[in-house]
Amino acid sequence: MTAQALTREGTPRMAIWKALLLTLPIVPFAAAALANDLMSGEAQLIEIIPSLLIWILLTVFFFRMLVTGKTHRYRSALFILLAFAVPLYLIPQLFELYGTNMLTPEMTYTAKARFCPMTMGMVILPAVLKGVVIFPGAIVEGIGWFFLWIGASLVIGRGWCSWGCIFGGWDEFFSRLRKKPVVKHVDRKWRFLPFAVLLAIVLLSAITFHPIYCEWLCPFKVVSEFEAPTSLATTVALVIFPLTFFGLVVALPLLTKKRIQCGLFCPFGALQSFFNKINIFELRIDLDKCSQCKRCFRECPTFSLDEGSLVSGKALMSCTRCGQCVDACPKGAMSYHIKGTRIGISPNAARLLFLYPAYILFCGFGANVIADALWRVLRLITTGSMI
Amino acid sequence: MAKLKSVLGYSVAALGIPIMIAAVLGIRLFLNPNAFISATGLEHSANWTGGEVVQTIEHGTYQTDVHRPVFDALIGEHKKGFVQVAWRPPEALPARIDEEIDADADGRADFRIELETATKQASLTPYSPNVIELQGVYDLEETLAVRVRLKNPRQ
Repeated sequence: MTAQALTREGTPRMAIWKALLLTLPIVPFAAAALANDLMSGEAQLIEIIPSLLIWILLTVFFFRMLVTGKTHRYRSALFILLAFAVPLYLIPQLFELYGTNMLTPEMTYTAKARFCPMTMGMVILPAVLKGVVIFPGAIVEGIGWFFLWIGASLVIGRGWCSWGCIFGGWDEFFSRLRKKPVVKHVDRKWRFLPFAVLLAIVLLSAITFHPIYCEWLCPFKVVSEFEAPTSLATTVALVIFPLTFFGLVVALPLLTKKRIQCGLFCPFGALQSFFNKINIFELRIDLDKCSQCKRCFRECPTFSLDEGSLVSGKALMSCTRCGQCVDACPKGAMSYHIKGTRIGISPNAARLLFLYPAYILFCGFGANVIADALWRVLRLITTGSMI
Repeated sequence: MAKLKSVLGYSVAALGIPIMIAAVLGIRLFLNPNAFISATGLEHSANWTGGEVVQTIEHGTYQTDVHRPVFDALIGEHKKGFVQVAWRPPEALPARIDEEIDADADGRADFRIELETATKQASLTPYSPNVIELQGVYDLEETLAVRVRLKNPRQ
């Protein structure tokens, strides 16, 4: 760590020239939205301005991550921005195409639903065993998501949940609103709930040939598309969606300062946890530096550190690699780590090798979504319509 | 050994960068999704498509497509399902359709459908105890379709 100094909290800083140099590879990926605009050949200035701003923002944030040694602070801001951008991007698009964001039976029977990576756990078993896609979205779109998801999961494991998920920023936002939690103790046994939900929805979806989580439980239907109330079942589901959203994504994160939906309910997150087992990256505690203050333990938004972690020096398999514990550790004992290497030898190299793919994933579709959302907001201001 | 593990670790970690680039950018470059879909034989569940058409009845200006009864399940069949009957092309349909449908292809009509094509109002007269009810009338892309809920005679 010759080119590094330590911040007050003990995390590694980087020299500006070095940070600038290491930011350069990210610049073309941060320009994803701009490249799309320019390639379309018909983009107007009002469309290019948001893409330019996002390009600058993504580049500056990566540079700041390197120069300050802080990961979570910048990732979280972008992650929340993406979550808020998704409905601004998706819902007007659906109105442009179909005049509504409610899925009618006609739209499901003609596969007009938008594929979402959260469907993967439900879709894979019937697809592999029967060659049948049980989600009513275009299979081509599903294949695109599948390869993005499998590639990202192999590379960053459950890091998907803090760097790639298009919805996770919602409960991250609400979990960060209060300074102190109202509910300080959450029984750690609840950590097993996502695995139970995953098992239940995978089996039920395979048995019924319907994407059960999407049809009955997904909180994020509130900010995307949902089935039109054309039957008793779809009407009941329409009551459940806002309840799960306000319960798991708004109220409980506000009260506990934890990402309750991501940490204690999301079956897709549970599925991602298994990728942490085969993934090369992990979060480790250098027990020689650790003062056992348990700050990481308290800060972790997904209950992925416990008393056992302070003995083993490892985060649990549910770790989303958000970097909050790394930023919070006053001794610089927490770090991104590559399995098989010695702890504390070159934490900045391990962090960089994680940050590059994670940030490329974020830029890959995040840049487009945020730029489009910003463009729609600008359009609303200038023309009175987002469509 | 520790050095080898370390070199391997960093190599695998570095390999993650091109893999992620391929996952984010390369899918459209390296893979033709339609070819992939053809090769794997993936298709939508019959719950959405209505299943394969097993019988087409010609009426001169328009046709009736009777799909296979759908009771699809991962293992075996469901106790209840549906059959989709569709009329096309929509612009050539008469104001009123009144048709008896043999859903299970046993040579006997299982139900009668009366459908007002303009208002999409339909009524069902079951002839078979396996016919439960009319699920709905659907204005699909190139057809006007009804779905009728059925009991599975094999269950």
